[in-house]
Amino acid sequence: MMEYKPTILSGGESRSDDQIMAAHERKHVRRVSGPGLPGSDGQGEPLVIMELLQRLRVKDVMRDHDIISVVRTDTMHFAQNLMKRNHISGVPVVEGKRLFGIVSINDIIMALEGGWISDPCQKHMATNLVVLEEDMPLAFALKYFENYIFGRFPVLNKERDLVGIVSQRDVTRVMMRELTKELTRLEGGAGHAAPEGATTEKSEGALPYYSMRQFVVVRNDLQNAGKAANEIKKMLGDAGVEKKIIRRVAVAAYELEINICIHSLGGSITFILDGHKATVIAKDKGPGIKDVEWALRDGTSTANDWIRSMGFGAGMGLSNSKRVADFFDIKSTVPTGTTVLCEFNLPEKK
Amino acid sequence: MNINDIVKTLDGTLVAGGDSDRTVGTVVANDLMSDVLLNDGDDILLLTSLASDQAIRTANIVGAMCVVVHNAKPLPQTMCQVADTLGIPLVSSPLSKYESCVRIHAFLKAEAGA
Repeated sequence: MMEYKPTILSGGESRSDDQIMAAHERKHVRRVSGPGLPGSDGQGEPLVIMELLQRLRVKDVMRDHDIISVVRTDTMHFAQNLMKRNHISGVPVVEGKRLFGIVSINDIIMALEGGWISDPCQKHMATNLVVLEEDMPLAFALKYFENYIFGRFPVLNKERDLVGIVSQRDVTRVMMRELTKELTRLEGGAGHAAPEGATTEKSEGALPYYSMRQFVVVRNDLQNAGKAANEIKKMLGDAGVEKKIIRRVAVAAYELEINICIHSLGGSITFILDGHKATVIAKDKGPGIKDVEWALRDGTSTANDWIRSMGFGAGMGLSNSKRVADFFDIKSTVPTGTTVLCEFNLPEKK
Repeated sequence: MNINDIVKTLDGTLVAGGDSDRTVGTVVANDLMSDVLLNDGDDILLLTSLASDQAIRTANIVGAMCVVVHNAKPLPQTMCQVADTLGIPLVSSPLSKYESCVRIHAFLKAEAGA
């Protein structure tokens, strides 16, 4: 994943000055951490939300038109009236596309108390600015809102021009809209949202560009185990994938689903279908596999008699999944859990 | 060999999943579902002693044309429901799995020679 560090501008210049950063953090920063939902470590959140936060970019949520701003020579009083009229708590100081600073409601209060409300903005505006970049994933914007006290951030493009403003309200509005779309799709069993600009419409002889489903697998719930694999099989059938490939994907999904059910504390099966590839990701919550190489051998199993009486535990699950997949990968940590990835190439239809 | 032939040959009863006109392509006799999943054959007739939903779900994964459960084992209601939902004919037979294999082999041999 691409790493982003907080970008701080000073006096309209693009800088990454450690001193400014340190001073700024002392004043404003509570904590800086990686992407994910505020107040979390990015683990264990619903996949649909995590996927949205990574897929959506800052430019998808920012306000990029009618940006209310002042110029450096405008007075603090002018900025105060502008904020009052527009019900906003801060205003950027901009000339052309260049961002020079921000006047916040706090600066206005200080100006009223200090008697410099008639001074030009350039004398009292904040110039050490934390900005977002338009191509950052939304997850980073959320972290910024959590880590800094600001209610809105200026957004710059690669040329360091001001291209928008993003507030928490903007994020909430877009997230609500996108989540509603996702839930509607998931409830309707139609899969996941397509990336921006992609189509999910199925045309004659063509696979849907992108669809994604996640299935929860409950520990020891053999009554329901296998439902995900059967649903995946149906999705592939609906997408017009070749029968032999459907069977291979379904076998892997089924084996992995049963494995989560009988060997782990529970987990999920994620299925992703795009025009070139079908991917099955099985992720569980532990206890992890001590010796992965041993577990991959045919006939090795830690299954108990109860599991065997249900027709499983032959020790073929992982090796079967590996056998049918074009690409197989497994990562396991004791006691955190195991993640298995199976990919299947989908030949282009003629 | 179609569903009617299977029912007659194995003294069985079609209990769920409905009838179909598919014919047997491959016969698999197994109680271990991972072994069943290993099989690459088409139109599988699955002979098993496993009376559970998973026998049907496994059958669906491999595109089986019929599942036969032996020794007149009581079939859970949910198993029949899954068979109905997935449209996989489910047959109950009083025979042992071995006896079923013998009879089906004889039938297919006769059919091939006919």
